[in-house]
Amino acid sequence: MKILAEINHLFKTYDRGGWLFGKKETKTVLQDVTLHLGEREIVGLVGESGCGKTTLAKVLLGLEPYQRGSVKVNGAELNRLSKADFKRLRRQVQVVFQDPYSSLEPRMTVRQILAEPWDIHGLHKDKAEREQALTALVRAVGLDPLHLNRYPHEFSGGQRQRIAIARALALEPQLLVADEPVSALDVSVQAQILNLLKDISRQRALSMLFISHDFAVARFLCDRIAVMYKGRILEAAPTEELLSNPQHPYTEALLSAVPVPDPKVQKQREPVTHKADAKRRQGPCPYAARCRYYRQEDCAAPQPAPLQDNGHFCACVRMPFKKEKSRYAV
Amino acid sequence: MNACQDIVLSVEDLRVSFCNEEGKTEVLHGLSYQLPKGKVLAVVGESGCGKTVHALSLLKLLPPGGEITSGNVSYKGENIFALSAEELRKLRGSRISMIFQDPMTSLNPIRTIGSQLTETILAHKACSKLQATARAVRLLKKVGIENARKRLNEYPFQFSGGQRQRIMIAMALCLNPDVLIADEPTTALDVTIQAQILKLIKDLQRQSGMSAVFITHNLAIVADVADEVLVLYGGYCVEQAPVQTLFARPLHPYTQGLLHSLVSLKRKEEHLPAIEGYPPVPGSCLSGCPFAPRCPQATPKCREALPALQEKHGHKVRCWLVK
Repeated sequence: MKILAEINHLFKTYDRGGWLFGKKETKTVLQDVTLHLGEREIVGLVGESGCGKTTLAKVLLGLEPYQRGSVKVNGAELNRLSKADFKRLRRQVQVVFQDPYSSLEPRMTVRQILAEPWDIHGLHKDKAEREQALTALVRAVGLDPLHLNRYPHEFSGGQRQRIAIARALALEPQLLVADEPVSALDVSVQAQILNLLKDISRQRALSMLFISHDFAVARFLCDRIAVMYKGRILEAAPTEELLSNPQHPYTEALLSAVPVPDPKVQKQREPVTHKADAKRRQGPCPYAARCRYYRQEDCAAPQPAPLQDNGHFCACVRMPFKKEKSRYAV
Repeated sequence: MNACQDIVLSVEDLRVSFCNEEGKTEVLHGLSYQLPKGKVLAVVGESGCGKTVHALSLLKLLPPGGEITSGNVSYKGENIFALSAEELRKLRGSRISMIFQDPMTSLNPIRTIGSQLTETILAHKACSKLQATARAVRLLKKVGIENARKRLNEYPFQFSGGQRQRIMIAMALCLNPDVLIADEPTTALDVTIQAQILKLIKDLQRQSGMSAVFITHNLAIVADVADEVLVLYGGYCVEQAPVQTLFARPLHPYTQGLLHSLVSLKRKEEHLPAIEGYPPVPGSCLSGCPFAPRCPQATPKCREALPALQEKHGHKVRCWLVK
């Protein structure tokens, strides 16, 4: 598989304070992140809020600078792009945000929203041709061409997310970054949007970085899943492998916490809960404070380096590829 | 379930309207249910179906413009709507408490968490400030906030969204209420914290016999906490049944569609059987069944007349197709 986007040993920090009051603090939000996205591959990024999922997406979109490591899309290093090259990158990488209520400009009609990328990039200048392209675009996301002259407030959440997807597709990108695109939608509409994302990614040979906190959603869509915690990738593997054979204690805890929509099963399940132990925070493992398998002698060892290939990576020094199956395996 | 004193909360034909320039719009069209002691009723529905409006009207907390046009809500046989303002104030927070959906706007931004938590305790209980603080610390620990004593002196902005939500939950639980009304209490939380909170609520229910009305759109949470489920659509109750029955044999096409369209962790689907169309805008309901425009089995009759809520062996459903 050809690699489309390549993130290698990425470090990203934010500075806090230091201008007028207080000492300047540096907070590391991404630490040694390595993740490769192949052509036509959908990679899921799963983790709790605040773990750095969205920051990683912003870096990949070129919206945030990074301090160390490299991020390449089609071989071009994002930190070193000129303005013109950056504009070219925009045509390759597009984004769908979580909240379709705040991500669409309320004063623009759907037609203006969808055509704006073309204006910027000088595409479809011919009027008739543009009209044809617009019609094709709205049809592709399951809307009606009659909707083109309406404003975002006239649509429901699900329809708005379709508009946001259409806007992301307008420039025919190779890579789509989708940041929790269904979590703000009604349940009965989520399935529609998930189907749509799956269909368009196949039809248009898209790659996708799909950010989610929901394993079930990630399973439906993704070829591979990476589990993130406190700015680090703790486990990454092909979807079926990760779910049937979770290796990292954190992945296990996450899986145990996902409720199953079946009262017979769910009422028997016991999620892994744990109290954080601040004393363990000093070690190299970010999860040590909450880990139920913690052993001081072992967990002081440095973390294994992320894998370059697409095999099963686990950042735990104790668990990797243990023989017995986890009872939280799916 | 039949003994009268075991019913802690009873709702009869609750109707709520909202007024605007265009006139009155009814958003909740006659909701009835009974909540027995120690049980959890889940109210399931999508945005705009009237589930939050129903929760707010239980404690007469509707925003301006909202009006309860008919119906009764009684707590242990006592009509809540007939209470004086002072009596209602005593009831709210201590015997019936509520977790609001939005943790960002439900806390006072210019007061510390500690003062907001102890305020509730001091307002309802005769105890010293020290005792109230100790109780607040215990509660914060229970909902999983580390360093509780120190953090009592912090302001809401110093907490993350999930933490604020947990503070709201601690506040609602601080007086061991008989009835907890929880409006999407875990939507903003991560699954690990969500599991923790749901466990806490289930423990309280088991230990102190607390009852709860749990409003959610997440059917997996329903499967976890609920004893009985009520499905709302377009302001109508379309189905109500014990949780096992509802998941095993859903009768209404909407419930069936919802359950089928769920992504599963257990198996990999190629394509999800989604419900077509979008949920109705509140108040837009014309004649007929509110789900008819999206229903794959709809007949002309469904579009003309509203089916009645029929009951069989404790399973209620509002559909023409169910005989």
